[in-house]
Amino acid sequence: MKKSISFAMATVMALSVTSAGSMTALADDVTITIFNSKTEVQSQFEEKAAEYAEKTGVNVEVYFSTDTVAAHMATRYASEDPYTLSMVDAKDIYSLAPEHGVDLSDQDWVNDTDYEISVGDAVYGFPICVEARGVLYNAEAIEAITGEEFVPENYATLDAFKELLETLVAGGMETPTGIMKEDWSLGAHYLSEIYEEQEDVDAFITSLHEGSADLINNGKFNALMDTFDVLMQYNYAKDSAIAAEREVTEQKLAEGEIAFMFGGNWDWSVINAYDYSEKMGMMPVPQNTEDGTNTKLVGGGSKYFFIDASDNTSDEQRQAAKDFLNWLVYDEEGQSFLVNDCALVPAFSNNALEVTDPLGNSVKKYADAGALVPNYNYAPDDHLSLCGASFQKYLAGQIDRAGFAEEIENYWKSTTPVEH
Amino acid sequence: MKKNTMSYKVKQYVMFAGPATVLFCAVVLLPFVYGLYLTFTSWDGISKDKPFVGLTNYISAFQDTAYWQALGRTAIYSVIAVVLVNIVAFLLAYLVTSGVKGQNFFRAGFFIPNLIGGIVLGYIWKFVFNRAFVALGQSLSIGALSTSWLATTNGAMLCLIIVSVWQYAGYMMLIYVAGFMSVPKSLAEAAEIDGCTKSQAMFNVTIPLMRASFVQCLFLTITRCFMVYDVNLSLTKGEPFNTSVMAAMHVYNQAFTYKKYGMGQAEALILFLICAIVGVTQVYIGKKGEVAA
Repeated sequence: MKKSISFAMATVMALSVTSAGSMTALADDVTITIFNSKTEVQSQFEEKAAEYAEKTGVNVEVYFSTDTVAAHMATRYASEDPYTLSMVDAKDIYSLAPEHGVDLSDQDWVNDTDYEISVGDAVYGFPICVEARGVLYNAEAIEAITGEEFVPENYATLDAFKELLETLVAGGMETPTGIMKEDWSLGAHYLSEIYEEQEDVDAFITSLHEGSADLINNGKFNALMDTFDVLMQYNYAKDSAIAAEREVTEQKLAEGEIAFMFGGNWDWSVINAYDYSEKMGMMPVPQNTEDGTNTKLVGGGSKYFFIDASDNTSDEQRQAAKDFLNWLVYDEEGQSFLVNDCALVPAFSNNALEVTDPLGNSVKKYADAGALVPNYNYAPDDHLSLCGASFQKYLAGQIDRAGFAEEIENYWKSTTPVEH
Repeated sequence: MKKNTMSYKVKQYVMFAGPATVLFCAVVLLPFVYGLYLTFTSWDGISKDKPFVGLTNYISAFQDTAYWQALGRTAIYSVIAVVLVNIVAFLLAYLVTSGVKGQNFFRAGFFIPNLIGGIVLGYIWKFVFNRAFVALGQSLSIGALSTSWLATTNGAMLCLIIVSVWQYAGYMMLIYVAGFMSVPKSLAEAAEIDGCTKSQAMFNVTIPLMRASFVQCLFLTITRCFMVYDVNLSLTKGEPFNTSVMAAMHVYNQAFTYKKYGMGQAEALILFLICAIVGVTQVYIGKKGEVAA
């Protein structure tokens, strides 16, 4: 008796499982998973995903991680549970996509952007936004002292910039600049400009690898370091530059206690937490140079989607992911999501929406004018940390410019080139 | 039922220790063996193929000066932190077993830091060192406090040690409290009747009987200090200029940030061996001279 009852129960349970399975198949539900590495827009993303699901019937699940992007991707691929769409940095596209990504060359949006990433002949990376680096300024604070309109173009040379700083000091702003001591800001952002603004970037990097680059006598290195010295000289945290906290520095900039800081438009997510001035913006790093780089910001596409090519993702999911990307580019709602909800600078020329934040606005202006020096995306993975540490030593006054140049040269000599 | 047959023993083992054995194999043994295998590859952590490279990773691990610097730093940090943690913990334990008013309250209070996760703790202390101390130093014009300690090489290490002592002392205190309680009062009293002073009774009677507590506390603190990562990450993040990167953080960076998985794993294995040797030696020496009450 007992046996037959348990047998009957097992049958019922087994049937219910199969029927549940067939029901999902009938409803034709496709679920795609998205990895979002721009954590500041996570809530916007989740909200939009729900709306998108309602409209299209495609379930969109958005995840984020506090781990580094590469480490998180490694975990997901090791557990054979990759995301359908993964948002990663440019360098990750080069290392991941040829093996794990879908070739997107046939997609329409490829013709509407300059920022997609290709490896070989295949397009793998869908650019999510444009980001650029430069000197952030608070025009309101400057004008309050100088009494005239602040026109950033007038301060493209270091001489003019320094003169302005002197005026500000004389006008009562004793320390008009701030410096972020974070290794990514110094190592990956400021130092990288020294490579990116060379006439032939690849040749320069090769000469660094070979040990033939004479950094201390390099014009670009000295021009940018001269500017950095000036930023250091007027730094509000001059005595403890290496202890300055990013939030404090950005708050001072937002509220006009200082007027200039090297950074990028991503800093808006920090600045907008404070009582910021509307009249902020971004200008090229002032330099005494003739090569025109002091009229351009440095930047380009930032954060890229790639679609998983492994067997863990079905063709329906891949198609749904492609549709989602098209929606971001061509649907009005998708466009508005990127620009208005997430406050990003669109990477697609057909997206004409006005960028909402002042820093993004500057980036858009320079990008539209073609005045962006492209990013160099092929630095080795430990470049940021090791060269950033050297730069921090320079900032703390522990090594001089020659010592700094030597450490950077030694770093490059000890690494192997990244294929690209 | 015969109790000395093989099948009976196996059954008993499976019944009582089976689940634990399975779990231990799944989460400790297997990953360890797999990790060992990875040290012989030049895997980047995500690629489909794992090229076999033999002993290259071990050779480059031995040539990695930053790793050995991190290990040396960890050793210095561990020695200082272990000594301080145990001294402070012992004194606290003595205090809260000596019958002061509200000693149960103090016991709980001293133990609480241990309940806060290392990451949170690091952020709290970062604020204390960067803001609170600096503000205090500037308003009272104390030179040593007016700049952040976290900004200097030695200062950052000092901060790490202070936070570790603060975190672990309460936990170790509990073990010492248990040690104190396990030594019958009558023994110390007997010694005093025989003419011992209080401190003589402490050093010659109570402390030798508490040897087990010392062995346990030293083992726990040594292994924890050698493996420190969370406080290191949230308090200093290796700054300034990567001079407060401890061994575990270096291994993590090597494997995940620099994407040299095989090499990171090899360095992790070396760290494991060092820890194991230090830990086992310490327990062996400690156990050898243990006396029963």
